[in-house]
Amino acid sequence: MASPIADLTYRNYDGPLEPPINRWWAIAKLSMKLSTKKKGFWFWSAMSCFWYVILLIIFYVNETIVSNTGPLGQKASIFNTLVWKDQFLNAFNESQLFLFILALLMGAGTIANDNRAKALLVYLSKPCTKLDYVIGKWLGIFVPMTLVTAAPALSFYFYCLMSYRTYGFWTQDPWLIVRLVGMIMLPGICYSSISLAVSSMFQQGRLAGGVFAGVYFMSNFVTLFMGGAYFAMANGGGTPPAIVSTLYYCSIDGIQNAVVKILFHTNGSPTIPIALPQGAVRLQVPEPSWYVFLPAFFAICGLSILVAWSQIRAVEVVR
Amino acid sequence: MCLVKLYWNATKCTDAMYPSTSVSVATIQNLVVRYGNFTALNGLSCEIPEGCTGLLGPNGAGKTTLLKTILGFVKPTSGSATVLGYDIESAGAAIRQKVGLMPEQDCHIPGTTAVQFVAFAGELAGMPSGQAIRRSHEVLDYCGLGEARYRNVETYSTGMKQRIKLAQALVHGPKLLLLDEPTNGLDPAGREEMLELVRSVSHGKGLSVLVSSHLLPDIERVCDRVIVVMQGQLRAQGTIKDLKKIEGRPVDIELLENSPAFVAALQAKGASVMPPKRTTYRIQLPGLPEDIARIAMQAALETGAQIRGFEVAERSLEDAFMEAISAK
Repeated sequence: MASPIADLTYRNYDGPLEPPINRWWAIAKLSMKLSTKKKGFWFWSAMSCFWYVILLIIFYVNETIVSNTGPLGQKASIFNTLVWKDQFLNAFNESQLFLFILALLMGAGTIANDNRAKALLVYLSKPCTKLDYVIGKWLGIFVPMTLVTAAPALSFYFYCLMSYRTYGFWTQDPWLIVRLVGMIMLPGICYSSISLAVSSMFQQGRLAGGVFAGVYFMSNFVTLFMGGAYFAMANGGGTPPAIVSTLYYCSIDGIQNAVVKILFHTNGSPTIPIALPQGAVRLQVPEPSWYVFLPAFFAICGLSILVAWSQIRAVEVVR
Repeated sequence: MCLVKLYWNATKCTDAMYPSTSVSVATIQNLVVRYGNFTALNGLSCEIPEGCTGLLGPNGAGKTTLLKTILGFVKPTSGSATVLGYDIESAGAAIRQKVGLMPEQDCHIPGTTAVQFVAFAGELAGMPSGQAIRRSHEVLDYCGLGEARYRNVETYSTGMKQRIKLAQALVHGPKLLLLDEPTNGLDPAGREEMLELVRSVSHGKGLSVLVSSHLLPDIERVCDRVIVVMQGQLRAQGTIKDLKKIEGRPVDIELLENSPAFVAALQAKGASVMPPKRTTYRIQLPGLPEDIARIAMQAALETGAQIRGFEVAERSLEDAFMEAISAK
């Protein structure tokens, strides 16, 4: 047998070794690499910006076909009544489902698969603490999620800044970019925390994903139901009680919606002001109280991380 | 004069060949580890010297608990230990940077190839990413993983998984390697290759190895020293040679054929002779083996017996182990 060209005997490693701190970045890098390799990642990322594309089409068509009377009865160009920040709110709401699917893809199995493969032994037998592991896994979901949210939002923002300044894009709210940065980070913060908690409680990624999806859709059912109740009460001539609008925001989508409305200081408005049948009220659930929902949002995220922390163990220890 | 063929195992004949002057890589003092009401380590005290050391014990003896405690997975109830000069309670991260663990269970990061997995292990240990990739290929070459290194680790056979476990333990150039049942699940050929890898890496490469196993042949094959643990306590410690030594240093003399006259001649010279196994007599005489050999040669010359073999008698490691664990 011919001898190998290279020397295959063991050689010790005498190269540089960084101090045993901040291993979270290596973990985050690997998580991001594995996420972006998944087949559905790019598809669902593209789908999450569909509402921005629709908005661009609407604005383009409206700008090029400006008339006194439009086909839907409007009397003037929509730009005269458009609230720019609400367009970002609407786009955010429309992308929620796709961002959830992304969170499911990236986050459901992030710790569950490690539990199943006993990979925690590898992590924690190196100079890597539990804190590094949690931070790394959290960032591994937060960073891609934020980039996916940021890309279309910021592109749309700068496009509108360049093209629609004459329609009040800048003057309506010069601080919109700051609010937008807050909005962009929200899904990352929310989904990273919740998916870490759910994933850490299971040994199988699919089971964790199923539970996560169940929690998401069950909670969104509450929002859907309360939204319908609010609309019915508002159109019935009465004032919907505060509890209805509060419960409207009590879901994973709802609480994010609430925080964005607080950030933008708006109740929301439609893109195209369609005239409704006589007596019908446009459904606008009002902006919620910041002193309830902001702490609630951060409490949910913090609690989720605590749950993940308590579940992570290198070895099974019988107490 | 009859021809005499002398077996002389030089390594077995000199007591001074393995002096106990090696430096300890780990020192454990009165270590107690409890899991609830169960005491896994019960005041264990031992020193792990440089070189290749076997950690022997029956199931439930505390071998894996000792490894977990060294790495900081489990907090000791009392006692102390230092590994490579670092205290296990205050310098866990520094210890884990210098120690490599090959766990008993399968452990890999799902969705990664062998190269990515081992490189990631290197990065976790503190290697820059470029160095980690280069080193990953190097250790995978050493561990015998060829083109398969580019496949997902979930598609690997048991033997390949054992190899990448060893590779991820070696990637950052540890000073101490902890191997927990390294031949677990391997077929005989795979076992041979793994033991050869372990023996190769533990001798002359500046790396100390602690092999935890209940398989005595594996330990005897690769280790120079053993630590025997039972019910969380140290039962025996020393070189394999010393553990296999029999009290009084008898010698085994193999003759061409049984010779009562030879036995009588030896007894006349003051030797005690045990009943033969086939044509091999176990003889006990005071003095060095060289002196016993001279006396045996004399007796053979006088009686016309033909000596075919001569070696210092020793018991099997299994016998030594059984004696250690059954001692009260």
